[in-house]
Amino acid sequence: MSPLLEVEDLRVRFLLSRGVVEAVRGVSFALGRERLGIVGESGSGKSQTGRAILGLTPRPGEVTAKRLAFDGTDLLAASPRDLRRLRGSRMTMVMQDPKYSLNPVMTVGDQIIESYRAHKRASRKEALEKSLDMLAAVRLANPARVVSLYPHELSGGMGQRVMIAMMLVTDPELLIADEPTSALDVTVRAEVLRILDQLVAERGMGLLFISHDLELVSSFCDRVLVMYAGKVVETLKASELDRAQHPYTRGLMGCLPKLAGDVHPLPVLDRDPAWAL
Amino acid sequence: MAGPLLSADQISVRFGIGRLRVLAIDDVSFEVAEGEALGLVGESGSGKSTVLRAISGLAPLSGGTIRLGGEAVTTPRRMAFFRTVQMVFQDPYGSLHPRHTVDQILAEPLAIHRIADGEARILAALAEVGLGPAYRFRYPHQLSGGQRQRIAIARALILRPKLILLDEPTSALDASVQAEILNLLESLRRELGLTYILVSHDLAVVAHLCERLLVMRQGKVIEATTAAALRDGSVADPYTRAMLEASRGFVRV
Repeated sequence: MSPLLEVEDLRVRFLLSRGVVEAVRGVSFALGRERLGIVGESGSGKSQTGRAILGLTPRPGEVTAKRLAFDGTDLLAASPRDLRRLRGSRMTMVMQDPKYSLNPVMTVGDQIIESYRAHKRASRKEALEKSLDMLAAVRLANPARVVSLYPHELSGGMGQRVMIAMMLVTDPELLIADEPTSALDVTVRAEVLRILDQLVAERGMGLLFISHDLELVSSFCDRVLVMYAGKVVETLKASELDRAQHPYTRGLMGCLPKLAGDVHPLPVLDRDPAWAL
Repeated sequence: MAGPLLSADQISVRFGIGRLRVLAIDDVSFEVAEGEALGLVGESGSGKSTVLRAISGLAPLSGGTIRLGGEAVTTPRRMAFFRTVQMVFQDPYGSLHPRHTVDQILAEPLAIHRIADGEARILAALAEVGLGPAYRFRYPHQLSGGQRQRIAIARALILRPKLILLDEPTSALDASVQAEILNLLESLRRELGLTYILVSHDLAVVAHLCERLLVMRQGKVIEATTAAALRDGSVADPYTRAMLEASRGFVRV
């Protein structure tokens, strides 16, 4: 069986007036029905990797790859019409901040119904029922009330759960989550992750989890790609994080202040220019 | 000097009126001794940042007293207050004037306080935060996030204050840059005998820099504890425990 998502030698380039910026420089991986994490610092190309898969690279970006395929469909060669059928229905994305990703002038219910009916033939009534089920699945206490709320009436954690509900209502096979919990408080984060974890497991989805937080990703995912300067420098099993070989990965782990074990001063990362080659 | 450097006695801050009234800080008291580092932790909306804003005069007090060196502070704050108390903000992208050079940014507090030896002070301040004189005539957009936060720290230090209010100084930075800034703050405190009040949502950051900390929730201090208690997990309040648990990462149940 071929993997759900195949990425080979993915490159994202931005042709700017001051020169060419290469954000992603030859990333390759395959994703099955598993949880794969991409970790890196700002500017490492992790978000651009996720966006390129969905064809959301902003202008004047340029995406090339030897192979970029979802369930056998070549995403770079697919027509806009075919892409629209895939995006938002079989592969979806949860963004970082619900405050900016939800439509501020539509109720939660209308937004979820819209995304459902854009991809499935369903009456408004069916779509509403489906939305209520989904809101219940992300454990919002009173779905009937939540559907009539506007985004500004939601807390951060509720907003992110609404986003997840909206993205999962079409039963996607692949979910890309770009820093889905960075805007949330730690106690809320734990709850949102638990919901995400359960839904991914129940539905047998593939999950691409993009984050700057190495420890969080390794506690949540099965496999972790560590990115630096547009390249994958190391691929690890999440359970074998302590066996990381690359100095960047080790440095990234070492420089975090930890509650267990007090180190003064904190080790800092000595960036070797060779890592970026 | 006997007594604490700064004390807050039953302070409260209210925003809005009528139905929309919010008690952002509700009857909070604490003391900070000279040379100490106190942490304020809590989740968004807990009022931790408002405490710093109330101390610095950015948020109006609606009750209680703040004393600096035993004397109640005035509203508006006097010039002398700002020579003792300075603040570093969360976002180094927003807290530096985009059209001022580093030199202008650092010269401003000196001009306001009519301090003569500007030249030498600016160079010394840059050296203290680990930036060379080459950075003096750059604009903020020519600096990385970590360098910007160093400039913000240099600006706070240039008047030789005793107390620095740190509002999430590393949460906009990458992990490796955060380590550099935390190390810088720690060594500056040791060398200059500074007192810190640090606000953060990250328990590990607070435990790293502070000995004592207050846990806030909904405008109230729910627990006063120590970094050592956080480390060995002997915190009493269930909410603090929940935060501690959640900050350890994801646990599949």
